[in-house]
Amino acid sequence: MDRAAPLSGIPRRLRLATAIGALLALLGTYMVSTTARADAAPGANAIRVAEFPADCTYSHRLPDDPIIFPGLPGASHMHSFFGSTVTNAHTTLRDLVNSPTTCNPRTDVSSYWVPTLYNNNVPVEPTIVTFYYLGEGVRADVVAATQPLPQGLRIVAGNAKAAGPNESIARWSCLHAGQVPPSKNFVTCPAGTMMESYLDFPQCWNGRDLDSPDHKSHMAYPVNQACPSTHPVHVPKLRQVLRYPVNGNPAQFRLASGPGYTMHGDFFNAWPVAEMARRVQDCIRPVIKCGHDGRPI
Amino acid sequence: MRALVAAPSTLLIAALLAAGCAAGPPDAAGTTAPSVAAPTAVAAPSTARATGTAGPFSPTDIAWLQLTVAMAERVLPVLDLVPARTTDPTWRRLAAQIETTERANLTVSRRLLGDSGAPATNPHEGHDMPGMIGADELAALRSSTGKAFQRLFAGHLRAHLTQAVRIAAAEQRGGVHPETTALAAAVVRRGTTDLARLDPAVPDGRGAGQAA
Repeated sequence: MDRAAPLSGIPRRLRLATAIGALLALLGTYMVSTTARADAAPGANAIRVAEFPADCTYSHRLPDDPIIFPGLPGASHMHSFFGSTVTNAHTTLRDLVNSPTTCNPRTDVSSYWVPTLYNNNVPVEPTIVTFYYLGEGVRADVVAATQPLPQGLRIVAGNAKAAGPNESIARWSCLHAGQVPPSKNFVTCPAGTMMESYLDFPQCWNGRDLDSPDHKSHMAYPVNQACPSTHPVHVPKLRQVLRYPVNGNPAQFRLASGPGYTMHGDFFNAWPVAEMARRVQDCIRPVIKCGHDGRPI
Repeated sequence: MRALVAAPSTLLIAALLAAGCAAGPPDAAGTTAPSVAAPTAVAAPSTARATGTAGPFSPTDIAWLQLTVAMAERVLPVLDLVPARTTDPTWRRLAAQIETTERANLTVSRRLLGDSGAPATNPHEGHDMPGMIGADELAALRSSTGKAFQRLFAGHLRAHLTQAVRIAAAEQRGGVHPETTALAAAVVRRGTTDLARLDPAVPDGRGAGQAA
């Protein structure tokens, strides 16, 4: 008898049937669970959008930029900051990870900033500020392979130096007034609505640098629904959505960086590593819409 | 008999494993992400480089050099306007001296930027920066002469020098590259002197208004 001792007393045929049966049962259970995950997801009502949000209200204004002008207070045009409440020209990752935040969820202590909007030279801050983390704009298999945004990563989107709409990826529109066509410059929103700005950040990382000398070249936008070989790591796409309490003729609107098409955004990632990883695993890769807590809605 | 038992089991196990890889939480293994995306590299920022810069220049050094180049390039055309728009020798002399300083600083800053390997421009320098004259303001200067020109020019020059001294002082404190921080110290020293010379010449209530 050279069979494994624990099974030696059981008839061979029974053992075979039991083994296959158990494996089939296991396989069946697994397939049911994976099918559920793929088709309906937990709760049966899961929404098939790869997304988790952070809502981060206005925190403060400073003419500082810890990415573009680190260590040089007053070197920048005026910025409006969201998220971490401590950000200034000297801010490092260490400062952010222990800082208070305006974000829901509170676990997001990242810093986000944009050029301040002025109406008749009076600063106007957005009253609804949402940062969506998305798995979109690439093939499904690329979404399924999304990696967490590394802590300390800095990303800049948009073109603060745009000399015209053609040099810009800015998008202005009106909340609750979809009939107004979006534009790269400010739009005239009907009374009772809010002017809003959308900005998508690059989602392909070079896998190596948390920043680069021009603050752009460590990140790239997808090409043909995939990340280019120079920037092979797919991370969640950050979409910044700002709703400003202004409407009507935009003639007196300006950004600290210039016209509407100079809209840009800066992101300094300070999400706790485990919280970011959990959201990527539970929301982005399986394509499930999550709430602020990073759980399926 | 034993082989018959083993074969289907192996197949089933293989199927289970395959299913697990395809549908389970995609860890780094079994995804299409390249090996550089291993979670260890992602989870430990110390393994990712903080910036792409290397060598003796800090990000603050580079940002200050980029900004100094941008500011000098912006103020030189303003200084160039002076000889044609005012005959006042005090203003012409002041502008010529500041222009000499700015050109020298620009040359050194460009060389240091080249040494650092950083790009000569950055995404934020450009229009509507503190201390930088805008296109509209430059047009207004070009269409004025005499005392009106002097008043506008003095305002822009003061804004430029004030900002230059402010950020050079920050570089002096926060920079690390010796020649760069030495240049910053010189900008602070010279800028402060020039601002003091500008004060009595400017008719804005701060000085005696001798040129007004």
